Amino acid sequence: MQLRFSFPPYPVVGMTRARLREYVEGPDPITGAPLMREILDALTKPLTNDEMKLVARAVPSPRSRLLPSGTEADLHRLYLENGWTDGLPIILPTEERVAEMLSGTSHPPEEVVGQMAVAHRGEFFAYTVEKVAVNAVMAGARPEHFPVILAIASTRHPAFPSSTTSFAGMAVVNGPIRHEIGMNAGLGALSPFNFANSVIGRAWTLMTINLGHARLGDTLLASTGHNLNYNNMCCAENEEKSVWEPFHVQKGFKAEESVVSVFRGWSVINSMGAANSIRPATEETAIMLQAFPALRSAVTLIMDPLVAKGLKDQGFATKQDVCRWLSENTKFTAGQYWGADVIYAFMASLARQGVEPYAPWRKLPKETLIAPYNDPNNMNIVVVGGESNPLWLTTDFSLVQIASIDKWRPAGGLRRDAKPLRMPVAISCSDGTCGLG
Amino acid sequence: MAQTAIQTPGVLPASSCTALDPLGAPVQSKQFLSMAPRLDSLQGKTVYLVDVGFAGGYEFLEEVRGWLGRNIPSARAVLKHKPGNMFMDAPDLWAEIKDQANAVIFGVGG
Repeated sequence: MQLRFSFPPYPVVGMTRARLREYVEGPDPITGAPLMREILDALTKPLTNDEMKLVARAVPSPRSRLLPSGTEADLHRLYLENGWTDGLPIILPTEERVAEMLSGTSHPPEEVVGQMAVAHRGEFFAYTVEKVAVNAVMAGARPEHFPVILAIASTRHPAFPSSTTSFAGMAVVNGPIRHEIGMNAGLGALSPFNFANSVIGRAWTLMTINLGHARLGDTLLASTGHNLNYNNMCCAENEEKSVWEPFHVQKGFKAEESVVSVFRGWSVINSMGAANSIRPATEETAIMLQAFPALRSAVTLIMDPLVAKGLKDQGFATKQDVCRWLSENTKFTAGQYWGADVIYAFMASLARQGVEPYAPWRKLPKETLIAPYNDPNNMNIVVVGGESNPLWLTTDFSLVQIASIDKWRPAGGLRRDAKPLRMPVAISCSDGTCGLG
Repeated sequence: MAQTAIQTPGVLPASSCTALDPLGAPVQSKQFLSMAPRLDSLQGKTVYLVDVGFAGGYEFLEEVRGWLGRNIPSARAVLKHKPGNMFMDAPDLWAEIKDQANAVIFGVGG
């Protein structure tokens, strides 16, 4: 269905009544025509012939599997200028390279993995195992990474769905595959020092662009954008150093299963100071959480193993214990809560419908303290880091989905290069030299 | 001084190759509806003003309601919050609009 649109000046949020009245009585800034005259015309001017047609947007003809051949330089230019990359150089997905990538799974190339759309309720785009392989090659991945990339693709979630608010994503891998493909869960796991972390995270970005049809200004309207979109905080959990059960076990998977968990949110705060040096990490986190709007209690902490050890020593036997403490003890005023635009957008309707606790919170005086992270089940902890300092990241990310990686493994075991590509591992001080010789 | 074209770094010149299309295939999953017939005028008609939920939309539509009251006093403007958030379907409201309204204006704030 086509629609008739008119636009007042933007934004309207936060404007005085006098300003809003000026907008209503003034012109549409796009057309220059008086806004209300335009709206009246939209409701009363007869439909045009085009508007009366029951016509869906035409579905383009199926695209050719192969692009026109050219020199390497021509093809690099083609991918870049068509918006099929993240702006960084890619590996060209030639037939040979894609075929090699496909050897990284037992699933047939033509099998449909899913459908994706960056725009909520927008048009979806279907993709096969081969299409995922094309994007995996472009990201620089090797066949050993392909089961993880297919697992991410199987969630059908884009790394950054379209929103003017600029989403960020995170992909965390648990289980034996972390070691099999050389992922980094330790020192600098979220920094660009690990091949698997880098190419898997980048593959999710390219899949979002190409399989989810992210087109700037058309389907993607992120106002500032987000630099986490380049790699999506792809890492593994440091299960071996964690004093708590692994994230996937906490969520009902077996320790020997390999899974990827995808998260979505906006914001990351680095603790900067060591945990427990002056005040407990829990109290410090509660302070940081006051910077977020507490939308649906979404919190994910990415915590160095030293922080986890410290918390366990303080009596937090499980990750859930920490989340419950934060839920009960993180407080700010009702005025701060309802003053957040995103809370108004998503929670005010629940308050109007009488849903607890939002309805009574809506009636509170602005200065009344509430505990807005009221659902500890939407709070997560992932242990990541190299124990160089008891530090942690506090995010407003929520868990979106957990997907099996094992489902996508090839029957004969992971397809690894004769000499798998690995970046240098962190210099270890275990021999007392710290690499200084 | 004559300029020399610079090769893209890391790219070998001239050798021809073929690569695969990286894009997903569009899926036609939407039901498309024709537009509703238009009214002759708003005189004596009921117009629903629906705030979809983005902040500022309701207040803006209150001003639209005020404008309609001042300029087309015989029109009846009914201002509503859309139930749920902006991404949720609201079949009860759509049914109410079909039953009660002659026209509807959706307000998207932000």
